Amino acid sequence: MKPIHFAGLAATLIVLLIFLPAPNDFKSGSRTVEVNMTQFEFEPGRIEVNQGDEVVFLLTSSDVVHGFYLDGYDVQQRIEPGIPHEIRFVADQSGKFRYRCSVTCGPLHPFMVGELVVEANMPFWRAAGLLFTLPVLFLWYLHQQERGHLHGKEETSFTPKARV
Amino acid sequence: MRREWSARIAVVLILAGLPLAVLGYQYGLLPLLSSERIVTVAASIPETGGFSPASIQVRAGEAVTLRFTSVDVTHGIAIGPGLGVDLGQVDPGKTREISLTFEQGGIYTFYCTVWCSPNHWRMRGILEVTDVDGTIPPFPPDPVIELLVAEGINIDAASTPVLLQSSASLLSLTNGATVAAELNLPADLHNAVWRRTHTPQQVMLLLTMLYPAVSQRDLADAVAYLWRPSEEPSERTAQLYEQNCAACHGQFGQGDGFAAALTTVQPSVFTDLVYMFTRRGDVLYAKIRRGGMGTDMPNFGTLFTPEETWALVDFLWSLSLQ
Repeated sequence: MKPIHFAGLAATLIVLLIFLPAPNDFKSGSRTVEVNMTQFEFEPGRIEVNQGDEVVFLLTSSDVVHGFYLDGYDVQQRIEPGIPHEIRFVADQSGKFRYRCSVTCGPLHPFMVGELVVEANMPFWRAAGLLFTLPVLFLWYLHQQERGHLHGKEETSFTPKARV
Repeated sequence: MRREWSARIAVVLILAGLPLAVLGYQYGLLPLLSSERIVTVAASIPETGGFSPASIQVRAGEAVTLRFTSVDVTHGIAIGPGLGVDLGQVDPGKTREISLTFEQGGIYTFYCTVWCSPNHWRMRGILEVTDVDGTIPPFPPDPVIELLVAEGINIDAASTPVLLQSSASLLSLTNGATVAAELNLPADLHNAVWRRTHTPQQVMLLLTMLYPAVSQRDLADAVAYLWRPSEEPSERTAQLYEQNCAACHGQFGQGDGFAAALTTVQPSVFTDLVYMFTRRGDVLYAKIRRGGMGTDMPNFGTLFTPEETWALVDFLWSLSLQ
């Protein structure tokens, strides 16, 4: 592969990685999750949303009075069995947030926790791709410089004289 | 030597005297100084004992403070019948209290109003008030239930729908109002007390004989209009339903409460018109007060007054006839 071709390919890849919208974040939507609380767990215990989503939690309890406290988003709601409650908020901060029961519901109450994962809009594969492509491109560039010098086509200032 | 002995005495005084002073103040001095009696009731789920103590005796005229606390999950405290005492929810570690002075003797029930375990409805305690002459008046028998027994009505009998076979949820109350106004209905039908002792189905059969020309649909509408309570249910009645009935029968009477799966018999569906058209008001009343036999319907006769029970019956009609 000619150096100019490779450089063009890598540059295109980087542009794609940065600017092409990922399938799951080009539009922030609304996510409705039914969360049921029992002694001593949340169902589901792990919820994943995307940053910027409007999150709607339909909270129910199927045994005793529980509370829903979401760390980091200042959400606090008492949930009585049989009376569903809806809370909505915009997930504007990314990260992993714990939700826990805020009304003492029995001996294992302190262990009644779940987690809300708010995915950042820079998806993992995009960040990883950038991290991988940039050094490879740089190394390739260095390699090309080296080869150019060995073949005597170009002069570079940093090539050690001793290797000639 | 003498100094060592006085040091020993000081240690013993501190070790024994401090707890004695604290506990003595709490359980000895405080009740002595207080002019009223304080009863602390610890609430726990029925599986671990329910209310403790579950039975309290007071005298008429004696001021008593009932202090409720919870030791496991959130409970709700109410005392009935007829006292109108609802202390709301008691979270573990919190207390709610009420001071009561009874004029007359009687038997009252304090009960849990928040679903706390599968045996939640067993969570009740007795408050016995002895009269000035030292007797406790017995709980009065219910005249409505006695009349039903005298009439030979089986409260637990299954319904046999005759006319309405499919769910007639399309009943129109406005159409029923015009039909009822056009027909010259017997005066009895406008009497709420008369209606309590008859099923909508019986009245439909009667109207079918009286007005053979009118369609069944119009007659059903008219009957629904007659049975629909004229007044909106009060907040207190809605609260009673929510606290005591909704767990099994569902928030809107659809029989889909979260505890419906726990009962031996599927809870009645009040929005099912085929079922409700076969029910007498006084049978619904009796079922609430006496409970169901073989179903898991608890008795509420010791918790609600007859007026509250009739209001609940009306509430059921307003759930079904919308």
